Amino acid sequence: MFTRILWKLLRASRGRLVVALVALVSGAAVISALLNLQFDIERKLSQEFRTLGANLVISPERDAQAMGWPADSAVLMNQDAVLNQVERLRTQELVAAAPFLYVVAQVKDRPVMVAGTWLDEATKLAPTWKISGTGIASRHDGTGSLLGRNVAQQLKLAPGAQMELSYLGRRALLTVKGIVDAGGPEDNQVFVNLPVAQQLAGLRGQIAVMELSINGTSKTIESYAQRLAANLPGFEVRPIRQVTEAEGELLNRIRLLVLSMVLLILVLTGLCVLATMAALAMERRADVGLMKALGGSISRIVGLFLAEVGVLGAAGGLVGCLVGVALSRWMGQRVFGATVSARWEVLPLTVALMVGVALTGALPLRRLGNVKPAVILRGE
Amino acid sequence: MATLVQVEALRKEFGNVRALDGVSFHVDEGDWIAIMGPSGSGKTTLINILGGLDTPTGGQAVVDGTDVARLKEAGLTRYRAEKIGFIFQQFHLVPYLTALENVMLAQYFHSTTDAKEACQALERVGLKDRVTHLPAQLSGGEQQRVAVARALINHPKLVLADEPTGNLDEANQETVIQLLRELHDEGHTILMVTHDPALGRLADRRIELAHGRLATAARVRQTL
Repeated sequence: MFTRILWKLLRASRGRLVVALVALVSGAAVISALLNLQFDIERKLSQEFRTLGANLVISPERDAQAMGWPADSAVLMNQDAVLNQVERLRTQELVAAAPFLYVVAQVKDRPVMVAGTWLDEATKLAPTWKISGTGIASRHDGTGSLLGRNVAQQLKLAPGAQMELSYLGRRALLTVKGIVDAGGPEDNQVFVNLPVAQQLAGLRGQIAVMELSINGTSKTIESYAQRLAANLPGFEVRPIRQVTEAEGELLNRIRLLVLSMVLLILVLTGLCVLATMAALAMERRADVGLMKALGGSISRIVGLFLAEVGVLGAAGGLVGCLVGVALSRWMGQRVFGATVSARWEVLPLTVALMVGVALTGALPLRRLGNVKPAVILRGE
Repeated sequence: MATLVQVEALRKEFGNVRALDGVSFHVDEGDWIAIMGPSGSGKTTLINILGGLDTPTGGQAVVDGTDVARLKEAGLTRYRAEKIGFIFQQFHLVPYLTALENVMLAQYFHSTTDAKEACQALERVGLKDRVTHLPAQLSGGEQQRVAVARALINHPKLVLADEPTGNLDEANQETVIQLLRELHDEGHTILMVTHDPALGRLADRRIELAHGRLATAARVRQTL
């Protein structure tokens, strides 16, 4: 009988309830869209921040550097010692990891900064690099090189050209396979695979620095750094704070903004439901008076009305959440130019919020418990 | 016959207005009592108190061993559900529930619902073919018969009828009067407020009120 009366109540007041339902659906749609966007934006922003380059650097300890030891001895790191630990602690968050060794070599009697690295990984570390030419896909390619845009202009070299690098009598003949336009200091460097730089410098098995790109929040990066540091005694593992802190700060601001908007929408939706329910409470006074006269307890009668509101809230939350998914996808495309994926954990959260708002907005219905049946039955 | 209703020095005041002023009478089980009097004489106030819809300012109103004046809100709710069957002049059916559901609503508040029993109650008042009709689809007489079925569904000790024919045309009045006769013949105790002298004459006894008091105490005592 409870569900029978509930259904009849919903049908009887559908005119007014539709107003409340529209408010709940609208509120749920915007909240669901915002939550979907927020969850997805966090993921997308992390990805975007990864395009800024490495966010974790492994280098020799500061003490060793401060002592001013020569660049080709104590301040270098054993390649295998570092790489083994990085590989051992590899997780899904690790996007790319590349060792670097720098040599100031000569090309056509001009000094150039040569960066030896793994070129396949280096391009993942800096996905915003624009490379014209064929590029180098393998870290084992010992004959190719990439030239920074400025170096290429100064040396008048284009993809396909030959170039000889020399350093302390050691030489390497390389083919230019691409021009790098990075928009930064990389435009002034020559990139070769690590073994080439090591052979030129005469530092086989040595690297100056290891750069890593970790996907995730600043906390994830800090945690990853701590794990690495614990396994690399004698090395400094350091997050690049400008990147991680900017990311953390931005995400915190987005969270605060979304939370404020969700609260505002909840209040507005609640007020709309409240206004509708206040009108409905006036309409229901006669029914409540009669039900009380027939022996209905306050808890049973008000329970009926609150269940009605609860159903309304759940329906509003459910429909609104689905609308919100579509809305977030549309906003993702229009505002961010990216597809926003639906997060299913948003559904129960939105439904629970809407049921809560509906029940809070139904405060006027609770006052129906004070209705005096004798007064109502007299027609007052 | 055992006494079902015992009213002693019953008073009800609304601010400075005395709606009931020391009313005393008793009703035996199976009695059909007509409460009569001009408008404002306290008739409705009296049956509201006996029905647990209102509380007296003073005095006693004992129904089936329960002093209504002493009951709190929860006690009055149970009292109304278990001991009283109401028939109102305005029918007071829930407009969005069918005839059957209106009867079942009283069952729901009393204990558990039984659609078969509710159907039988409607069949008994001649509404077998109207169970799925909404009040708006029923005539006044039919609505009042639904109200009668609803009043009886929980087997109340006392049926309180406030102007049960006041809103009906002559043909429907006769139908409802016939129903009340049948209820009386079956042994139900009925307290009925009416302006209609003809209907009043059908009752076993009459209680006449004026300005909140029994109209003429001696005559009423004699009548009682």
